[in-house]
Amino acid sequence: MIQTTHAEIEVSDTVVRMQDIGFSYGSKALFSHLDLEIQRGNIYGLLGKNGAGKTTLLKILSGQLFPQEGSTTVLGDNPTRRRPSLLQEIFYLPEEFPLPKMKASEYLKMRSPFYPRFDHTQFAAFCKDFDVDLNQRLDQMSLGQKKKVLLSFGLASNTALLILDEPTNGLDIPSKRQFRQTVASAMTENRTFIISTHQVRDMENLIDPIIILHDGSVIFNDAVASVSDKYVLNLTTKEPDMATAMYVEKVLGGWMVLSERSEESEGQPLDLETLFNVVIEKGKGGVR
Amino acid sequence: MNRFQALLKRELKTSQKDMTTYALVIVLILFGFETLQSLIARYTHEMFPLEVYSEMFPNFLLIGGFIVTSLMFAEDMFGKNTQHDWLMLPATNLEKFASKAVLVTIAYPIALALLFFLTSLVTEPIQLLFFGNPMALFNPFKDKDIWMLLAQYWVWNSVFLLGATYFHKVHFIKTVLAIGVIGLALSGLALLFARILFAIRFGSQVQMFDAFSYLDARYVEQTLTSLKIYLVIGRILYYAVLPVFCMITAYFRVEEVQATDAV
Repeated sequence: MIQTTHAEIEVSDTVVRMQDIGFSYGSKALFSHLDLEIQRGNIYGLLGKNGAGKTTLLKILSGQLFPQEGSTTVLGDNPTRRRPSLLQEIFYLPEEFPLPKMKASEYLKMRSPFYPRFDHTQFAAFCKDFDVDLNQRLDQMSLGQKKKVLLSFGLASNTALLILDEPTNGLDIPSKRQFRQTVASAMTENRTFIISTHQVRDMENLIDPIIILHDGSVIFNDAVASVSDKYVLNLTTKEPDMATAMYVEKVLGGWMVLSERSEESEGQPLDLETLFNVVIEKGKGGVR
Repeated sequence: MNRFQALLKRELKTSQKDMTTYALVIVLILFGFETLQSLIARYTHEMFPLEVYSEMFPNFLLIGGFIVTSLMFAEDMFGKNTQHDWLMLPATNLEKFASKAVLVTIAYPIALALLFFLTSLVTEPIQLLFFGNPMALFNPFKDKDIWMLLAQYWVWNSVFLLGATYFHKVHFIKTVLAIGVIGLALSGLALLFARILFAIRFGSQVQMFDAFSYLDARYVEQTLTSLKIYLVIGRILYYAVLPVFCMITAYFRVEEVQATDAV
């Protein structure tokens, strides 16, 4: 009985399961045998080079694109069916979007009925945090302001899965800080965020685990700590031994060296940019 | 508010500005045309025509309606930056399709008739005051052909609805061209079919148009009576099967639309 309950929890804890996904644009193959699992209650960071397929992956798991091969399950449902029961549990903030010619308050009235757990009090609080005027017309807002409105809307919709594609693009410096704080405060154990970004410094200390997409497959899907526990990053002025170093990067005044952690090793915390570069350079399974 | 009502509200809110502009254009055209007619009638000493609204209504219903229908899915299904909003909207594909179909099939003719009536209500007293024209308020039901007109709108609107979901760009023109091509193909088939029938009846040496000279009035009447059943079948196909087929196909297009369709 206990085992059954445990198994059920395990199943329901997997928010996204993609198996053997194949996808191509015309004759250009993008994904081949891609597998991905996303667990509930985390803020995942989706990283990859330009053209790696981050947005395509997000569109597949939100049901906007249908994979040619493999299966995708999101919250236990097939996203290609686009059932309302699933769609009201997903909020997708794209990188670029036009908004209708109306006030933010009118937009709220028009869209909120589609989300059964939408919280108007939360929405007002998020808008206040982001310093958004609800009486301003959406079409007269800057990209950053529009993003703040949609972010507030998405967070207040209380969906189980929030997909944010480059959410900090267009945000000013204080807003990026506010974004991190707001997302962290809106996080609960029942929610899952997938944040696709190139701006890894904006997301430092927010996204973890990290998913890295490269050459048509997921080559890394783990917590940053899993790498930090095994490897150590040091700054050295002496030219490092390439044979023992996992990764070397020439920096101002020396070299940044990633090597295997030993009992007595001390080093800097591993930042996301270095982690990404290491994983990409070492390729599939290189640092795991 | 249920989901379907929310969808209808969304459709109306997002197209509010465009529809208001369109309505204003109609009002201005009607007013301008009425005034022009009044001026012409005054200086040529002719009778002022009372059928201005009735003559204009079919044009705006058919041409205007088909253009509106053609544009109905353009942004939501095929707009590269806009389609995500519609695809991710928590409603079934049927609800999304039906909300648009209901607006263009039912709400548009009603709204247009109402707009014509209200315009005539404002314009006619002005015309009476300045030109002394008799009041001629728009009444769509005065015209006996209104039901036939609405039936034609129902049929052809469904075709344009299919075109709106089938073509990615320039929906109206492409639908008109497609109708033209299909019309030509069907005419060719009909000609071929008629040629075969005439050949069977009158022999292959007789040209089709010559064959008409063999037909006397009694024979034509007899033939038409026997063709009545085909006429009924034809009407059912035209007024019921064709629009339903177009609607269902358009719905399936909505169901299978993907973000790639905007690429």
